[in-house]
Amino acid sequence: MNGSKKHTQEAKTPTLENATMRDETPFGIWLSRGLHKLFDDIAHEPIPEDLLKLIEDDRTR
Amino acid sequence: MTFHDQVIKIIPKLRVQAFALTRNRAAAEDLVQDAICNALAAQHSFIPGTNFSAWIHRILRNRFISDLRKRRDTTDIEDVPASTFASSATHEDTLALKDLSLALTHLPTDQREALIMVVIHGMSYEDLAEATNCAVGTAKSRVFRARRQLEAWMSGDLPTNDKLRLKVQALRESLKNNTSSPNIESFF
Repeated sequence: MNGSKKHTQEAKTPTLENATMRDETPFGIWLSRGLHKLFDDIAHEPIPEDLLKLIEDDRTR
Repeated sequence: MTFHDQVIKIIPKLRVQAFALTRNRAAAEDLVQDAICNALAAQHSFIPGTNFSAWIHRILRNRFISDLRKRRDTTDIEDVPASTFASSATHEDTLALKDLSLALTHLPTDQREALIMVVIHGMSYEDLAEATNCAVGTAKSRVFRARRQLEAWMSGDLPTNDKLRLKVQALRESLKNNTSSPNIESFF
């Protein structure tokens, strides 16, 4: 019982030592969603034709 | 997968890293193109079977640092295009996103980059360390400090004379006054 309570408290206030790549605190989840909203569109934009041509020209050189 | 196939496949991630560094779409596109030119020119220095992602992210980062030394002008959040934000977002969502975006610009560049690469790319601390030329502990610390700083800022934990809070407050007030424009696009 006490162990699980302690675990919950640690999850709410991560420290550098116990920080994980995925921050499962409420703020961590909100932050992850917000960053995806800000950056996913950028990642999913089509690649410019001239950039593709640059790479393909180098491939066939 | 050939070297060139790997380059094409990783472009979306390079674009996100570039935007995290430059905070400006046009500058990010230029940075990606320049980094790819550098990578193509240096392709013979890449050892097949080693970490391609870390190798090319490092090239982009080095290019950014090199460009930054040449010209020290960065773009403020007001220059971020409206299309950066999801058009379907509600008014409150958009406000929160705007706040977050503004807060991101105030993070140190290395913290912002580290946070984005871990959260958006799902990059491991080890790969992040290799891509950004630092120790794993440093990479982990950058992400941790970025999260905690953003949490402090977003929860209003700021000194009274802080410029960021004043900017956020002014923005919120102007958004409230502009009732005829329900989304953020009216501000650009």
